[in-house]
Amino acid sequence: MAANFWASSHCKQLLDPDDVDVLQPLDRERGLTQEEFKLIKIHMTNHIWKLAQQVKVRQRVIATAVTYFRRVYTRKSMTEYDPRLVAPTCLYLASKAEESTVQARLLVFYIKKMCSDEKYRFEIKDILEMEMKLLEALDYYLIVFHPYRALLQLLQDAGMTDLTHFAWGLVNDTYKMDLILIYPPYMIALACIYIASVLKDKETTAWFEELRVDMNVVKNISIEILDFYDYYKGDTCKGEPVKGIPEERINAALNKLATK
Amino acid sequence: MVYWFRVILDELFIISKPDVDLSRNIKARRRSELQAYRTMGDGRGGGGGNRPAWLQQYDLLGKIGEGTYGLVFLARTKLHKACIAIKKFKQSKDGDGVSPTAIREIMLLREITHENVVKLVNVHINHADMSLYLAFDYAEHDLYEIIRHHREKLNHPINQYTVKSLLWQLLNGLNYLHSNWIIHRDLKPSNILVMGEGEEHGVVKIADFGLARIYQAPLKPLFENGVVVTIWYRAPELLLGAKHYTSAVDMWAVGCIFAELLTLKPLFQGVEVKAMPNPFQLDQLDKIFKVLGHPTPEKWPTLVNLPYWQNDQQHIQGHKYDNAGLHSYVHLPQKNPAYDLLSKMLEYDPQKRITAAQALEHEYFRLDPLPGRNALVTSQPGEKAVNYPTRPVDTTTDFEGTTSVQSQQVSANAVSGSVASMAAPRPGPRQIPMVGMQRMPVGSMASFNIASQAGMGLNPGGIPMQRGTAAQAHQQQLRRKDPGMGMQNPGYPQQKRKF
Repeated sequence: MAANFWASSHCKQLLDPDDVDVLQPLDRERGLTQEEFKLIKIHMTNHIWKLAQQVKVRQRVIATAVTYFRRVYTRKSMTEYDPRLVAPTCLYLASKAEESTVQARLLVFYIKKMCSDEKYRFEIKDILEMEMKLLEALDYYLIVFHPYRALLQLLQDAGMTDLTHFAWGLVNDTYKMDLILIYPPYMIALACIYIASVLKDKETTAWFEELRVDMNVVKNISIEILDFYDYYKGDTCKGEPVKGIPEERINAALNKLATK
Repeated sequence: MVYWFRVILDELFIISKPDVDLSRNIKARRRSELQAYRTMGDGRGGGGGNRPAWLQQYDLLGKIGEGTYGLVFLARTKLHKACIAIKKFKQSKDGDGVSPTAIREIMLLREITHENVVKLVNVHINHADMSLYLAFDYAEHDLYEIIRHHREKLNHPINQYTVKSLLWQLLNGLNYLHSNWIIHRDLKPSNILVMGEGEEHGVVKIADFGLARIYQAPLKPLFENGVVVTIWYRAPELLLGAKHYTSAVDMWAVGCIFAELLTLKPLFQGVEVKAMPNPFQLDQLDKIFKVLGHPTPEKWPTLVNLPYWQNDQQHIQGHKYDNAGLHSYVHLPQKNPAYDLLSKMLEYDPQKRITAAQALEHEYFRLDPLPGRNALVTSQPGEKAVNYPTRPVDTTTDFEGTTSVQSQQVSANAVSGSVASMAAPRPGPRQIPMVGMQRMPVGSMASFNIASQAGMGLNPGGIPMQRGTAAQAHQQQLRRKDPGMGMQNPGYPQQKRKF
């Protein structure tokens, strides 16, 4: 149901960790590696992020767009669905779903302004066609829940609102992974609070105990987040995109797809 | 740093409580539901050509309606012979893809399941002309047509059992929506559907979620998005310029619909001021005040904060109204439970207005005749059930809403005849401006040979067909089921044994 996560399509569609980050056969045939698949997803998440800042939409819209993007590639190949077109179209669709419609021509304009690479540039028509294909690929499930609301409520409850900025940045970074496809959003929020509280030396044992949630899940999520930071060693933890991926690696990966 | 952190993590996780493993529950559920992934839609909208592959699963019977978004068609599935209403959304003219209205309707309908809410059975896409189709279970009737039939053809009121059952089911669906934080925002008789003959005969379905919203965040007024909705069912706080919607606006509309079911005419039939954006609707408020009396800040404290009341440019504050009474308009004694419920729905102060959940508990629904699942049968044995007319079907319109190659073979007479029979815009609240609606080119207007496709033979005059006439004879014999017999829905009010 629309306002209750447990009854929502989002909850019903949560995936097993083994079912995400799986290369589609077509992409594998093109020689795309698991690592490159991950890199492209991170890179395109950043692309959506930057584009969203140009057209000025709320955090929620960005998060929904990235979720759509990642959901699409649990079912479709990058060979057939060019990530460079899917990314802006996800933002376009999310802006409609989240009631802050951004015009397609604005997106096209800002992409041209942002990217000199011809392969990122598309016309309005391309976006509109891809919008329809995305609706199908998403099986018309458009409601997405995010950790942000839970994060604020939980921090309030814990009396740790001073961690808001820090934990918020961590939540932003979780969208560079597929966590939103695997775990309930409030569990992601809890993991971020957990990391933040430990790093900022806050005593939270009693509070977590009272919540009576499965701390093993919180632990797993926390470890995944830390692994991610460890691996991509960017300037992170400030809500900034990971900067550690060299352009050449991304381009090499995208060139294997050669969709345009 | 990470290593140090891990150590702390490991220590702290001793507190974990594996007895409430939420994630395991999800996984168990997920397994079964993974299968359901690709059940919706066919995954390939057809690609090239004007006849998408998914269309093959339907027999198209004709057009049954049109609105701001596009057209509505009646079709039958070849597999189960089930009637389906297909709502076609056109690509918006401004070159901005799928209309946000369609997106939101899909988004909500994909999440909700309730007996008293219309069921979205499929979504289709025609990539060739970038149009989107929503397929719903078909409902033969709606409250607009039921009320009109009584007013214009039968000249007698709707029986009390039917009124009560319709209202109860409407409230039941609305309670579900409101408890899931969805406001409909455009409730009116034509959006309240009633199922025709079949397993769900006489069951109410709330439809048209194009304007519905989840209200986690405060909702902006519709007029700020340039949306036009009828003013007859609009709550007084909105008419006075309230900036945000609450679920109470839906309850006001239910009150108006309830009164209309009782009297067969719209309760507050104001003349709309057409101007953009959101002009002050003096006449509509005037109609309300005449029936319900003048609102006062004593009874409605937040009244003084409403923009149009504050401005008072039309001197609404000083206007005097005679103490007419709602009871005299609906011809009910003031002690009647029906009147009591109605007056609570038409409470001025939205905070005091009865909620859907409270209304369902009202005494009115505990008194004979008790509401039932099939609203269209009679409550008394021997009483004659009403045969409501079936929806007119315009068999001359193709899915594309225009012509097709086959149409060339149809005689010129058929063409001219068909134009007249096009579903005329209805009077009253159904008349919606044809924004973004492409009028059919009269010259090229011709009947696509749908009739033969549907096995009905040609319908050269394009005469709206009444379907199921033979079946109507059976309707006489149908009686409301005996309490306790076959009334499986646990949601209905407790049935008392009469004997």
